[in-house]
Amino acid sequence: MSRIALQLLFRRTLLAIPILLCVSALVFGILRLLPADPIAMSLPPGATAADFEKLRQSFGLDRSIPEQYVIWLGRLVTGDLGTSIYFRRDVGDLIAKALPATLELVLLGLVLGVAIGIVGGLAMFSWRGRMGEQVLDLGTTGLMAIPEFLWAILLILAFGVALPILPFIGRLSPELVLPPPVTGFLLFDSLVTGHLRVLGSALWHMVLPAFALAIGVAPLVMRVLRSSLLDVIQEDYVTQARLRGIPEHTILVRHALKNAALPTISLIGVQGGFMFGGTVLVEMIFAYPGLGNLMVDAVRNHDLPVIQAVGLVYCVLVLGINAIVDVVYLAANPKLRVA
Amino acid sequence: MSPRARATLQRCLRDPRVIGGGLLALLVAGLALFAPWLAPHDPQEQDLLSTLLPPMWAAGGEAAYPLGTDTLGRCILSRLLHGARIALYVGVVAATGAMLLGTVLALVAGYFGGWIDWAIGRLVDVWMAFPPVILALILLVGMGAGVNKVILAIVLIDWTRFCRVIRSEVLVVRRRDYVAAARLAGFTHVQTIVKEVLPAVTPLVITLFSLEMGIAVIVEAIMSFVGLSVEPDVAAWGVMIADARTTMNQAPWGVIAPVLAIFATVLAFNLLGDGLRRALDARLVTSRGEA
Repeated sequence: MSRIALQLLFRRTLLAIPILLCVSALVFGILRLLPADPIAMSLPPGATAADFEKLRQSFGLDRSIPEQYVIWLGRLVTGDLGTSIYFRRDVGDLIAKALPATLELVLLGLVLGVAIGIVGGLAMFSWRGRMGEQVLDLGTTGLMAIPEFLWAILLILAFGVALPILPFIGRLSPELVLPPPVTGFLLFDSLVTGHLRVLGSALWHMVLPAFALAIGVAPLVMRVLRSSLLDVIQEDYVTQARLRGIPEHTILVRHALKNAALPTISLIGVQGGFMFGGTVLVEMIFAYPGLGNLMVDAVRNHDLPVIQAVGLVYCVLVLGINAIVDVVYLAANPKLRVA
Repeated sequence: MSPRARATLQRCLRDPRVIGGGLLALLVAGLALFAPWLAPHDPQEQDLLSTLLPPMWAAGGEAAYPLGTDTLGRCILSRLLHGARIALYVGVVAATGAMLLGTVLALVAGYFGGWIDWAIGRLVDVWMAFPPVILALILLVGMGAGVNKVILAIVLIDWTRFCRVIRSEVLVVRRRDYVAAARLAGFTHVQTIVKEVLPAVTPLVITLFSLEMGIAVIVEAIMSFVGLSVEPDVAAWGVMIADARTTMNQAPWGVIAPVLAIFATVLAFNLLGDGLRRALDARLVTSRGEA
């Protein structure tokens, strides 16, 4: 990686710190508005007032809100995310289990969505001015009117119920056991430990949820790619390549696509953030054990320590993907390399 | 109406997207408005002897329940029509709120610049670090569930969509000669903003508003799907999907009908917004019904 890219990454990391501080204070503040008492909800029916008070103290809920925030932040810095009120487990452990599952899903969904988007964008571009473009254009408008969670339900209906060919519950077939964890990433772990049946089953289970996420990204990639190809194709170097007798499809793939990729890359940065949001309901609908599922469970049970930690993790992911996309953008754009 | 405004209006009315989206939106609005008269049943009325009926055209369907019934024998068509009222209520009110908050902050930030612009810009940065759904969930945990809380959450989240785009437009407009001329003619800042800057960004605001209504409809559906919006017995589209999901293999229509309703409504607002954007030649706005 070039020096400029590293500098950029460093600057973005530095900028992320104040944003994350504000985000954490905001999340903490909003959650303290809560009208219901999370402790009362988690106690068994026969609990006494003394039990209640003891539990409140053990979660630090008897202190003032700014005090609670400072304590929470202090522990956060040392890597202690607190204890879940509902699951009665370490929040850090819960997240460490769920995060890799979400990252795998998002990565697969993003790759799938961008691949479909590039093919569709090229098709739209090649058919410019013809019926095919109009149809695809209207198609993208239609696709964009359906959010990911409805795609998830429609896909289950189509390929799980009507035509039962794909699994739509969980991450693995029930008869399979998890391979010994190496990194926590199931796909990677099952591959390196040679559990190929687990790998196959996990991928098979990810087809529908990843596809639901991909349909959310693909139409936008299609549109942006088409319009930047339309800009690029008018450049002098394309005319020059044509004069040299280079076939049209070679020009498209070798020259135009490379230059038209830049707006698409920055779009992925924006969409990557939205995609993490999209996983929340998609994971819940597919009972896929990721961060989104954890978040929904926590929200339903007013599990404040989990909600605030998972909320923060999502923000780190969004800022992270934005930083990565910036660096890729820099690496892909020679005009920015000389600073 | 000035000749220019009339030309713009004509351009809008010639765009097939504006016409198609507008008609579809009017249809949904009409169905929502007249739901109590159009619906064959009360949306809460249970008929436990005829649960999970298929639509009337399928085998076993009854004409009394055109789109069939759900697990409690409630009429799906009637619930769908009443659900349109909730969807449009949230769509219109939330989008209006987000538009007002976002546009005012954008005008202030873009026009005055300096530290105000800096502060609003940093606020947007913090907001943009959240996936919108996550912020919505956190807000609804803090404020408690309910359909008006969902509206408030959408306003508090989606003002940034307006603020970012409109602010950059205001930065351009502010440097135009007629804005300087207005100031020289003795207009106050407020007068200049309202009479000179606001009209210039209005087309953009209208476009964003249309797209935002679609987004708000989706967010309401998501939140009522997870049970954070209306009361569980109220007929909202998200509630209908969540209810029918468990019996999807016996009665798929219970899921398909509300999904189609959401699709049609969001499509209407997206087409309208897309067409207006092209016709009004506003700055390219990428938008997604995503929260």
